[in-house]
Amino acid sequence: MNAVFPTGFPPATAFYLVLLVATLLLHMVFMHYVLAGSAYLAVGRLMGRQWCRRCGWQRLLVDWLPFATGLAITAGVAPLLFVQILYQREFYSANLLLSHRWMAILPVLIVAFYLLYLQKSAWIGRRGWGWQIAVAATAFAGFAFIAWSWTENHLLSLDEAAWPTLYASGDLRYATAGLVARLAVWFLAAFPTLAIELAWQGRLLGIPLSGPAAAGETVAGLSPLRRLAMTALAGLVGMAAAAAVYWPTLPAESREAIAGPLGRPWLVAAAAGVAVQVICWLIAASRDRLPSGLATLATAGWLATLAGLVVLREAIRLATVDLDTLAELHAEAAGIGGLPVFLIFAGLNAAAIVWCIRMVARRAVTPEPGSRSGS
Amino acid sequence: MTPLEHYPVVDLGPIMKGMAIGGLGIFHVFLAQFAIGGGMLLCYLQWLHMRGRCRLARRFIDDYFKVLVLVSFVLGAVTGVAMWFTSIQVSPRTIGVMVREFHWVWATEWSFFCLEVVAGYLFFRFGPRLPDASRLQLLGLYSFASWMSLFWINGILSWQLTPGGWIESRDVWQGFFNPGFLPSLLFRTICSAAIASLAACVLINLVPGFTRRERESLVAICGRPLVLMLAMPLVGAWYFGSMPADSRGWVTGGSVPMTMFLTMAVGASALIGLYAIFGILRKQLYVNAATAGLLLSLAFVATAGGEFVREGVRKPFTIREYLYSNSVARDGIAELRQRGVTADDPYPLRDEAAYPSEQLVLGGKVFRAQCSVCHTLGGVNSVIELTGSWSLEQKRLNIAQLQQTKPFMPPFAGTPEELEALVQLIGWIDAGRPDAWEESSDPAVLAEIRRWIDEAGTRPGHASLAAATGDRRR
Repeated sequence: MNAVFPTGFPPATAFYLVLLVATLLLHMVFMHYVLAGSAYLAVGRLMGRQWCRRCGWQRLLVDWLPFATGLAITAGVAPLLFVQILYQREFYSANLLLSHRWMAILPVLIVAFYLLYLQKSAWIGRRGWGWQIAVAATAFAGFAFIAWSWTENHLLSLDEAAWPTLYASGDLRYATAGLVARLAVWFLAAFPTLAIELAWQGRLLGIPLSGPAAAGETVAGLSPLRRLAMTALAGLVGMAAAAAVYWPTLPAESREAIAGPLGRPWLVAAAAGVAVQVICWLIAASRDRLPSGLATLATAGWLATLAGLVVLREAIRLATVDLDTLAELHAEAAGIGGLPVFLIFAGLNAAAIVWCIRMVARRAVTPEPGSRSGS
Repeated sequence: MTPLEHYPVVDLGPIMKGMAIGGLGIFHVFLAQFAIGGGMLLCYLQWLHMRGRCRLARRFIDDYFKVLVLVSFVLGAVTGVAMWFTSIQVSPRTIGVMVREFHWVWATEWSFFCLEVVAGYLFFRFGPRLPDASRLQLLGLYSFASWMSLFWINGILSWQLTPGGWIESRDVWQGFFNPGFLPSLLFRTICSAAIASLAACVLINLVPGFTRRERESLVAICGRPLVLMLAMPLVGAWYFGSMPADSRGWVTGGSVPMTMFLTMAVGASALIGLYAIFGILRKQLYVNAATAGLLLSLAFVATAGGEFVREGVRKPFTIREYLYSNSVARDGIAELRQRGVTADDPYPLRDEAAYPSEQLVLGGKVFRAQCSVCHTLGGVNSVIELTGSWSLEQKRLNIAQLQQTKPFMPPFAGTPEELEALVQLIGWIDAGRPDAWEESSDPAVLAEIRRWIDEAGTRPGHASLAAATGDRRR
């Protein structure tokens, strides 16, 4: 591990690592929207009816969170596939050790997913505000539980020495020093993602972010844009603080993997990305404007941070596994046919997805007389 | 390939693990087929609307699609992921091999899944605001993508029972386009169309705002795909014929539960088919909510029966001629009989202190490694019950020659000492788990067990049976 990720590994290992990182990044784009978005909704509900009525982000999230959850689940299938190629024994063992506790994420996900739809329904609109708070808080609690379970599962998969003892104890929980800090890093990292995505979504949907047009949406003296900036900045500062707490809990070899040749360039990219984002959001907040150039720069910074974090996540894992044994399995998997078929269909389907979106954007018209809205 | 990989084994108490994966599988398959058939039905309705042959279609499509999104996009999608996770819980090695061999097929399916979700959500959200031609295009893409996801997963699932040329060549496409691929794909396509039609009949009755005459007209149109059920006997027979002979034997009397499940599937399908052909299509009878609900429930029963049969007829394998149900490799039996199935197991028993001797601990580990995937020690399909009437000698002999005792069982894969430990464990539990239990280590007994094991050989039961039948004929 003396070369920059993903170089320095056998070709098959490097290939699957790149696929895992790329698809995990895609998953996080949607998953962060759901996790941070459901938290934003729950907090908004707690702030009161007036607050929510004026906050356009609340309305937008209520409207789009179910779709984003569907995308997050769909996008999550690909990294789930590649993690089984790369670290099959580790991933399966952690799943099995946590057993029913781990499997609980599935019913919880179903409930949280339906609660997001419930928040869109007219039924909840007719209920008291307490219902709104309870539904939003329960949905967020569900997603938070899933995030915690994934963190627990991931950390257990890295700790092979603990497996027999944990199995013998029959305990279905795994607690380690870094669990809360690591969970905090990833949870707080979701907020800058949400801010960037809402900013772009707002622009695409023609929602005024600031200025006189957004005056009606000022909440607690903050324009919609300044609320986004606050969300992003709070997330970035909190994430950095949580990372500082997480660092000493890491084993020495993991710290070496992050600070050494394998992870250092990605650590620098992530840190630089954080700095760029902080600067962009501070400028946007102070001027109460987010011109395209600044939004693009903030997006680039966000992407660098997220990509850096995902790679560092793998660097930590790579420091704990037996790479020689795994490399043989990766080479065996890479020798199995089917890649050209995947590439052809993935390309065609990606083109079809783009075509669908463009077609709908071009042809969707105002509701026809007598027809009813589907959303 | 290593003979066995040791994972921490999940304990579901009195529940058989097959019940967990089977129960979830049935639910997921039913939802998935509803989504696939639903897409096809909605395309048909949209086309009729554009031809001016169903003025109610546009409105009904939007109502139907809402249900499709709420049911299929949430429950269907999450239970799909749950199938993966549950498979890991039940048999990590089986799903591991499937993922390794077909990861590009799965990745291809995923790309169709992405298209299905995006096209579906766009229709859900913007469909009512789109012109007819665009609606048909979107529905067509949604429907095609969902059917293609069936196409890809069907190849992997049918490969488990009929791996075809893959066994020799290890070629992914020989495995994918296996003998069961096409009949299974056609059969599932017909099932999908039928389930979607029946679900539509339920919905027609539940959606407010339609008059009785409008409902009658919609039922008559939505019932049309049920005509495909006429092909079910033929395609079913083709599918049945593609199965290995011993698997066919299980469902035609060789295994009572399997035969019952097949009868359940065939019987429920026949009832639906008869009502559909003579009642809905020929007599144009009106199907009210109760009748439609009953027919849909029957479809669920048929799906349940069919899925249990599909899972059950693979016995004693999870991947035919490659991996046994207990995750022991077909070619790894001989090695494990020398080394021992527990030799490399790093996991202690959970309640080791409760066992009065080392031999019983060993027996517990043997049970966990070889039996626990299908059997329990005191619940469903309990080995204690199954062997309750056997004498000590019978237990030793029958387990040593397990694949000949019951050809749907895998051969015993362990040393004589491990077999004796398992026999002692069964006896100890049957005796009410007394505090003291004498160890059994008579060299003569162990030698006899070794002789029995060697006599049975390492081939699976159906191969031994075929060889014996051949010998008798000669």
